[in-house]
Amino acid sequence: MTSLFQETMNVDIKTLKDFTPREFILISGLPGIAYIGKLSVEYLVQQLKAQKIADVYSKYFPPYTLIKKDGVVELLKNELFHYKNSKSDFMFLSGNAQAFSPEGQFEVIDTILNWCVTNGLKKIYSIAAYATDKTINIPTVYGTSTNSKLLEEFKKLGVVPLNEGVIVGENGLIIGMAKKRNIQAVCLLGETRGYQTPTGQYLIDAKATKEVISVLVKVLNLEVNMDPLDKQAKDMDEIITKMTEVEQQIQKQMTQSTKKPSYVT
Amino acid sequence: MKTDIWLKEIKKVQLKDGIAIVGSPGLGSIGKLSIDYLVKETKAELTATLYSSHLPLIYHTKPAYLAHYSLPGSAGIKIKQNEIDLPKVDFFTKEPKLILTSGYHANFDGCYEIAEEVVKFLKNNRIKRIIITAGYGSKEKKVCCAATSQKLIQEMKNKYNIETEYQGPFYGFSGLVFGAAKLQQIEAISLFSGVEAKPGNPEFPNEESAKLLIDILKKMIKTS
Repeated sequence: MTSLFQETMNVDIKTLKDFTPREFILISGLPGIAYIGKLSVEYLVQQLKAQKIADVYSKYFPPYTLIKKDGVVELLKNELFHYKNSKSDFMFLSGNAQAFSPEGQFEVIDTILNWCVTNGLKKIYSIAAYATDKTINIPTVYGTSTNSKLLEEFKKLGVVPLNEGVIVGENGLIIGMAKKRNIQAVCLLGETRGYQTPTGQYLIDAKATKEVISVLVKVLNLEVNMDPLDKQAKDMDEIITKMTEVEQQIQKQMTQSTKKPSYVT
Repeated sequence: MKTDIWLKEIKKVQLKDGIAIVGSPGLGSIGKLSIDYLVKETKAELTATLYSSHLPLIYHTKPAYLAHYSLPGSAGIKIKQNEIDLPKVDFFTKEPKLILTSGYHANFDGCYEIAEEVVKFLKNNRIKRIIITAGYGSKEKKVCCAATSQKLIQEMKNKYNIETEYQGPFYGFSGLVFGAAKLQQIEAISLFSGVEAKPGNPEFPNEESAKLLIDILKKMIKTS
């Protein structure tokens, strides 16, 4: 019988395809601010035609299912994809959710790392967002790593070391737990305003994503067609420009207003 | 069976190619109203009950179905007509083919596991299809559907003229039973009836929307 979770397991990795373990690089990007991590990984998976290897289910994911546009139901899950070229093997990790609690985030990442180590993990690149409220022309890519030497080649490509700050959620946790296991890992963070819709949904920041991917493909010697992402970034740029204009108008109106507030608290 | 979820079988039942209808309190209490109605109408018999330490008596989340890891709720008992009982999921059977599941929202720790146990139980009782009943936020009084496959969605369109319309999250007991059914490869269809949520109390029963859904459900049971 197919079981959602094995007895006493809170995180279950279901392998979908036979896979011969070889040394590989893991590129991870789970949904978070502006979906930079998720979009980066999904874009690379799509462009490189990476093959799905496994689904990851967990009781720690938010407790709901998703009804997709076509009416078909889907469970929240993370996914692992495999790609190899003549030089290297790559594994990609993304999905439609992060675990909901700190305990869950630790357990999900720990289980995925166990699976990866068993199958040949040698290095991790995690992709996250660097949220800022300043106006952005070209998003900066920030970086941090388990060992400062790892960042040297990224610095040459314009990546700014993140000397202070926090990375919330699994995109940060994965390199923290890699360090604990003595696995080399780098986290690249795309600078974003992290715009949200009125219902609190993040707008996808394709422009920041493009900057992060551009760095990563150079370091990994991957050939990726950037045209579709360029177009998405341009469309996004127009939306952000309009939103910035509206924001500035509101601020102007607020500072010019001489009216007293019509409410009391 | 995990120790924190236990099933009490009251009577062994014999079903073949059965249908399970699953509903729980939720938006407009559509799921609960439809199950309560069918239990009464079909005179189905209580044949099993699932208990769990993950089923709180008092929820600390509002609405109850928005489970949160830091708000597990509080356990307790219910007393009705001098009888004591725990929060539970009830299974009513009308042989030879119907199991009606009266669901209950678990807290964060048990949401997925309870859904899995419910689907396992239905599968063990030779259920071939699950129909889930729920509400969705809409000003229009209409019923739409979702399913575990495109084939079932086409069947709903062709046989009952029910379209897909809702897109988004499906919270709580019924949403996760729907997902667990897909993973355990059991056919499942969800019927959603449009409900305008009552501010401050989205689970307030909406009988008009429930009736719309029950009428379709009756046709589906008759033709299955």
